[in-house]
Amino acid sequence: MSQTHGGPDRGSPPSTPRWVKVFGIIVIVLLLLFVILHLTGNSFGGHNGYLPSIEHGAQPP
Amino acid sequence: MTMTPGLRKFALTAHLTFSVGWIGAVVAYLALGIAAMTSQEVQTMRAAWIAMELTGWYVIVPLALASLLTGLVMSLGTRWGLFRHYWVLFSLLLTIFAVIVLLLHMPTVTFLADVAAQADEATLGRVGGDLFHPSFGLLVLLVIQVLNIYKPRGLTPYGWRKQQEQGRVSPDVDAAT
Repeated sequence: MSQTHGGPDRGSPPSTPRWVKVFGIIVIVLLLLFVILHLTGNSFGGHNGYLPSIEHGAQPP
Repeated sequence: MTMTPGLRKFALTAHLTFSVGWIGAVVAYLALGIAAMTSQEVQTMRAAWIAMELTGWYVIVPLALASLLTGLVMSLGTRWGLFRHYWVLFSLLLTIFAVIVLLLHMPTVTFLADVAAQADEATLGRVGGDLFHPSFGLLVLLVIQVLNIYKPRGLTPYGWRKQQEQGRVSPDVDAAT
């Protein structure tokens, strides 16, 4: 039932559904955005303005 | 490898409980993160960070690990499999990603909670809150939940080969999650 979505031949695998391609692109973009924001310290509402190593001589993990 | 109906229902109940609990706990954490960021009260900010650490380690992390574990059991114990359907594969990858980010982030939460417990008002203001991680995590969890409820169709090439080998039609009936 679930593999007959695009009506493939019995001898060939079904093509990748469109939602998988769209979803995959969105997920990759969001993950890249997450990594970039995280690495650049631009995570909104975060705690990146705090520099504990300067004030307390401590290092965040 | 397929579970009995009784065992499958038990595993499904556990998986749903842990997964929905994970979402709820992240929402609670997000509320604390907002309080820590917006409050002008030193005690509130301090208490929020302490609560965020406790909620993270003792609620969110156990629920996340339990959700991942029961999800694996559900997949491997039913004919959905882990790699046969795109929605299961996406759910697995996103869950693993969320768990890894959570485990990497929690030590920083502990550190900042310790700082907040001892810091003066000026320092607390610089510590701020924690919105980015819980917001992004909540988005990922909601996407996973939508995938698990709607179960959009689509077999992976591996799933198609397995289906051809086994001559089965669909696991929809006996493995509905």
